[in-house]
Amino acid sequence: MEQQAIIEANDPGTAVVAGSNVGKTFANGTVVALDNAEFTIPKGKFVSLVGPSGCGKSTLLRLIAGLIAPTSGHLHVHGTQVAGPRQDVAMMFQRATLLEWRTAIENVLLPTEIAGNVEDADRERAMELLHLVGLGDFAFSFPAQLSGGMQQRVALARLLQTGADVILLDEPFGALDEFTRERLNVELLRIVAEVGATTVFVTHNIAEAIFLADEVYVMTPRPGRIAKVIDVPLERPRELAIQTSPEFNHLVDEARDVLGAH
Amino acid sequence: MADTVAQSTMNQRAGMSLRTRRILTHAGIFALLLLAWEIGSRTGLLDPLFYPRPTDILASFWRVYVTQGNIWFHLYASLGLVLAGFVAGSIMGIGLGALVGFNPLVRRFIKPYVIVLEATPRIAVAPLLIAALGFGAQSKIAIIMLVCFFAPFINTLSGVVNVNEEKLELFKSLGASKMQTLRKLVLPEAVPVIMAGERLALTAALSGVLVAEFIQRDQGIGSLILTYTRNLNMASAFACIFTLTIIGFLIFRFMEWLDHRIAFWNHEDGLNRNAQKRQARWSKKLATA
Ligand SMILES: Nc1ncnc2c1ncn2[C@@H]1O[C@H](COP(=O)(O)OP(=O)(O)OP(=O)(O)O)[C@@H](O)[C@H]1O
Ligand SMILES: [Mg+2]
Repeated sequence: MEQQAIIEANDPGTAVVAGSNVGKTFANGTVVALDNAEFTIPKGKFVSLVGPSGCGKSTLLRLIAGLIAPTSGHLHVHGTQVAGPRQDVAMMFQRATLLEWRTAIENVLLPTEIAGNVEDADRERAMELLHLVGLGDFAFSFPAQLSGGMQQRVALARLLQTGADVILLDEPFGALDEFTRERLNVELLRIVAEVGATTVFVTHNIAEAIFLADEVYVMTPRPGRIAKVIDVPLERPRELAIQTSPEFNHLVDEARDVLGAH
Repeated sequence: MADTVAQSTMNQRAGMSLRTRRILTHAGIFALLLLAWEIGSRTGLLDPLFYPRPTDILASFWRVYVTQGNIWFHLYASLGLVLAGFVAGSIMGIGLGALVGFNPLVRRFIKPYVIVLEATPRIAVAPLLIAALGFGAQSKIAIIMLVCFFAPFINTLSGVVNVNEEKLELFKSLGASKMQTLRKLVLPEAVPVIMAGERLALTAALSGVLVAEFIQRDQGIGSLILTYTRNLNMASAFACIFTLTIIGFLIFRFMEWLDHRIAFWNHEDGLNRNAQKRQARWSKKLATA
């Protein structure tokens, strides 16, 4: 499955997300949140956006999600222009944003409920996804009964329940402690490989960005720009230990240089 | 590990005896207080006219509830009004609060009036209401409605307006309709705040009915208190007042109980209870399929 994703990804005809000259300004054009972004993300690829606060990472993500409209340029997903929230794109936030009055499984089913009727197949799928994120035993727990890490797992299962194959993650584990975050990152890689999703992942952390990604977009602020795209040729599946390898550290330095020079 | 477990059970045991000891202390202090009061008014230190002896109050309780039994009629009258005014006032408050909250345009135009209303002591309007509606139950209910209206109104309004931005964004990204966002997000999220408003409203209703009955002295526990104090029958007046204390306490406990049922996700017991219930419901759903 993973092999197949890589083969398809190398085919230039399968760009899933593409932006040309995408710009977004706020406050009547006085704040340039994103300036002239050009990028294509092939099917099944994992892209990390990394950069300091205010460089437009969330803005780019929200543009792809169709939550806001660009002030200039064009954005395409699966070859059609993004004109609003859509079924094939799903987003996850820094906080789990679970509904406290719903159990884990009921939270996972929310996207299905909103899209239409809940069938038994959907219920089974939701249960499978909870197992996939390692929460099979907690399906009937309420968010308040789960740890922060478990809540994010539920949010991830909910994201997958949408059936979207483009998934956007805005610092999804940023509020968690480092151990939990590292573990969840490894699991995230396993999960997106398993469902074959195209992923855009926002983080402040250079090492995290490189560890996860096929390509890292290094972004700089004022105006928000994609300053450099770093290819990450490290083999998969990845283990946490690669972070001590010379190749890995070379990539970290490369990203640091871009950010430091700015 | 074993150490901490042992310690925690020890703490628990110590806590339990502490609890009973505390209850005993409270009971002791209360008994002393009553005794001091009793002695005070027997020796004339406290004017027995205004501070009747606890034993006299106890005798009055017996009289108004049993031998004369006259309090029941007034109690029913007052509680009926409380219920009617509370229900009407809070339905109005919640309804208007939701309406104003959902509609930014209405909100803008209504806000100045809300501020004016908030700054005005509601009780001040009571005599006007009686003048307008005449003597009788309807003006009393109107007064109670007025004092009940505000807390549910403000709380519903703020609950509906202050919905978590991230959750709204989530619903938007899932392509939810306005109606779906309302039913599945905004209303449930506002429930705990609305419940808090209802708690205040019911307490206010109890004061409201007294004010209404003080002004319009035909029946009800408020007018009974007035009658007793005018006849200098303070022991019976105290019996009425302590009755209200008990009712106030029961209202408080009832609303607390209701909150644990309705806004269950804010309470541990509610979470556990509902988790089991939902699991059972889920299993049944899949079994019948
Ligand atoms: N709705 C908005 N209105 C006005 N300005 C905005 C808005 N959203 C973002 N901005 C501005 O656009 C710029 C980019 O914001 P964005 O949230 O995309 O940054 P970010 O890279 O996600 O930062 P962080 O790492 O802090 O999350 C910032 O200067 C921000 O103040
Ligand atoms: Mg951000």
